[in-house]
Amino acid sequence: MRINVVCRYLGLVLTILGLFMLLPLAWSLFRGESCSTPFAISAGITVGLGLLLWRLVPTGEGKFSRREAIVLVTGSWILVSLFGTLPYVLAGTFQSFVDAWFESVSGFTTTGATVFASVEDQLQGILLWRSLTQWLGGMGIITLFVALFPIFGIGAAHLVEHEMPGPQADRLTPRIRDTAKAVWLLYLGFSALEFILLLIGRLPVFDALTVTFSTMPTGGFTPVDLSIGAYNSLFVEIVVTVFMAVAGVNFGLFYLLAWKRQIRQLINNPEFKLYIVLLVAGSLFIMLNLAFSMDVSFGQAFRHGAFQVVSIMTTTGFCTADFNLWPAFAKAALLLLMIIGGSAGSTGGALKVIRVLVLFKYAYRRIVLAFNPRIVIPLKVGGNVVSEAVISGIIGLAIVYFVIMFVGFLVMSAVGLDQVTALSSVLATVGNVGPGLNLVGPTANYLFIHPVGKVVLTLCMLVGRLEVFTVLMLFVPSFWKWR
Amino acid sequence: MYIIIAGAGIVGLHIAAVLAEGKHEVTVVEPSDEVVEGIRSHLDVKTITGNATTPRILREAEVDRADLVIAVTNNDETNMLICFLAKELGAAMTVARVRNPEYSGYFVTAAKSPSAARKIIRPKTLGVDLLINPEVAVADEIENVLCGLSPAPITDFADGQVQIGEFRVEQKSLVNKPLNKVKFPGPCVVSAIVRAGKTFIPTSEEILQSDDHIYVLASRDSMDRLSEMLAHPQPPVRSVVVFGGSRVGYIVAERLEKQGISVMVIEQDLNRGQEIAAELKKAVVIQGDATDRDFLIEQGVSSADAFVSTTESDELNILCALLAKNLGVPRSLIVLSKPGYIPLAEAIGVDIAVSPLLLTASRIAHFVLHGGAISATFIGGEEIQAIEFTVSSTAGVAQHSLTEAGLPREAKAGAIIRDEKVIIPPGDNVVYPGDHVIVISPLSTTSSVEKLFK
Repeated sequence: MRINVVCRYLGLVLTILGLFMLLPLAWSLFRGESCSTPFAISAGITVGLGLLLWRLVPTGEGKFSRREAIVLVTGSWILVSLFGTLPYVLAGTFQSFVDAWFESVSGFTTTGATVFASVEDQLQGILLWRSLTQWLGGMGIITLFVALFPIFGIGAAHLVEHEMPGPQADRLTPRIRDTAKAVWLLYLGFSALEFILLLIGRLPVFDALTVTFSTMPTGGFTPVDLSIGAYNSLFVEIVVTVFMAVAGVNFGLFYLLAWKRQIRQLINNPEFKLYIVLLVAGSLFIMLNLAFSMDVSFGQAFRHGAFQVVSIMTTTGFCTADFNLWPAFAKAALLLLMIIGGSAGSTGGALKVIRVLVLFKYAYRRIVLAFNPRIVIPLKVGGNVVSEAVISGIIGLAIVYFVIMFVGFLVMSAVGLDQVTALSSVLATVGNVGPGLNLVGPTANYLFIHPVGKVVLTLCMLVGRLEVFTVLMLFVPSFWKWR
Repeated sequence: MYIIIAGAGIVGLHIAAVLAEGKHEVTVVEPSDEVVEGIRSHLDVKTITGNATTPRILREAEVDRADLVIAVTNNDETNMLICFLAKELGAAMTVARVRNPEYSGYFVTAAKSPSAARKIIRPKTLGVDLLINPEVAVADEIENVLCGLSPAPITDFADGQVQIGEFRVEQKSLVNKPLNKVKFPGPCVVSAIVRAGKTFIPTSEEILQSDDHIYVLASRDSMDRLSEMLAHPQPPVRSVVVFGGSRVGYIVAERLEKQGISVMVIEQDLNRGQEIAAELKKAVVIQGDATDRDFLIEQGVSSADAFVSTTESDELNILCALLAKNLGVPRSLIVLSKPGYIPLAEAIGVDIAVSPLLLTASRIAHFVLHGGAISATFIGGEEIQAIEFTVSSTAGVAQHSLTEAGLPREAKAGAIIRDEKVIIPPGDNVVYPGDHVIVISPLSTTSSVEKLFK
């Protein structure tokens, strides 16, 4: 492990972060808000320290190893979240540092859980920064870093593969840097498109910008207290729903569509098909449930059901209705979708559709094997055989994922939450969703939770965003021995 | 450039690593899942698991936009088929490794009259632009070293007007002196130094150490004088012992035989020994084990002028070469398939190690050039390239000196060749269109050097 090499690149990552602080700085200057000085100071500190690290730490020779890549990825996320609190701290937005940390981690990990009791009385600069952190975290600040800086070689591949959501996929391009560039370009393109459509939908520029910054990364912060429901516009809801659904699809498929004109790859992709089926089925079931047990029309039930299902399954966390008041079945279904999450290679969080698909096929194989041990069943996804190594990786991850949920559930119960709140708060943070049920429901917030609980939840967010193992590896002693 | 490599054996992997390092786009096609997994964790390349002889897999690898397809699976026929299909599907250039000399056109058909004789396989009709036969290349190199003037391999540039020779620093007069204080007999540029297994481009203040390997670039005339000064005068080789009657050993024995050198081939396997004894005309073939010291003495190996070890086992080659040296053979040459062993072997006393892998990589390097480059070769391993460019009138470097034009600091100007005139070192001389320029550059800066000549 060459800590100096890692520090150098951490410096560069910080510099990028600092440069992004200029956007809310410009906005607050334009609006004449009092938070312009804090932003100027934050940007100065972040860029200055970043450049200092980059210039002063001596460089090392040789290639970037896998371990260094893992330390750099996890280190960047922690450091970026830490420096991301600077504007909140300097502007005095929160009472305590833990709250600022919670909001910052929740932003970068695209969770969207908030500790603001009310956002509408906050400064616009702060709210813009909050959404911008989500936008940066969505496609990944490391991926952006690889796209911007030519660190060639396998190091870059390790970096991107440890940050991208989902099990290791086929490489799209011969050079990982081209992949990073392509996905960021797509991300930028979709964001621009959504921004324009929201403007057409008569949203104010500021709202359109912040909502866009929170939709594409499947984040969930809004500049209004009632989330998307506050706009009460069908057009805006449709636009947001479509872009949330888009953000939950594997960006590699969009790459093949846009650059290679291979639409079949998208349509025939087994994960994409299951993702769409789950979204549609979820919407329909919840529509029926709502229409029969609550006093609403089918149209209204579908409008609310579909928006909430897409929002929760893609792990965005916007809402147009308080699903806390919905019947038990609808809530249970949403909780289940929260665990499944988006597709691999998307900006969504949680377990990912492809993993759930493999887990179910694996379970089916075990059942068949129980009555006919001699049968040979290759586990196929979309006609391709999944190797036993990949299967065991997915099972391992699923186990660890559920262990984290149980441990989190215990801890959150220990800090005094009721069971529904405790469980849903952990599910909503590990899956990077945002709102949970009961006390942390869509209209509530996380402010009342004990600081220890908040810290545990931020850890859940980081672990969830970085695909569990990337963070947990650092806590295995043998990781630090032997180079 | 976009390059597809079929087959991830030692050579395929090595080339993939070098090309990926050289900032090319590389896709590796390989049927074994395990191997692919290994590549993914070591190289920044795209991988496709499958058989490259199927058009479906080739299409998946986007062969139609490939600038170069390199077929290096362990089967000659497969490699030729891959090239054929790739060419049909639209690849720009193809390279196949073909080991069997009968294919590579090393032999010619028995024709009715000598003028009608032609190669059995004409690569172009198969869609193969370059056939690489590592064994023949190794034999060429060994023959050059044993029969040439220089004790070490020499590479030609600009039709042999400029050469790069490899020497070992042994003379007291050279050691512990900065390069600019050393009096060389003619104008030359020390383009690379290999020290303790590491290759680097020296500055003029670099202090030479004993046992450094230096790569010196000079005109042909100065090279002869340099050889006299830097290398021990080598008596012409009269007798050579070749250990290992494999393909390489056989070709070497046959070549040396033609040069009138008396050759003894030691082969462990009796059957193979009989086969090659029937093919060779004058060479003596002996069945036995070259690790047996008494056996070697009994066969009179100690009186030979050179010992060449060409078995398939690297370890055996190193061991036998050392044994021969120990018995008093003045020169030992070995074939090493693992390039990682080269510094090791040379450090413990083997005179020259020839690597089929590096020779293959060097040949392929010619095909992956951009801009005005017309030839390139690796020197001292695979980190540093010597590249020859022709200067076009639109090139950024035209009408400027190399330093003015912004030659990267890591790279070094080697020579300017204008008509028959050779300028070494180029210094502040201005480069004109039509000139040939030789630049020494590490792989990492090759692309910025190439930009100067675009």
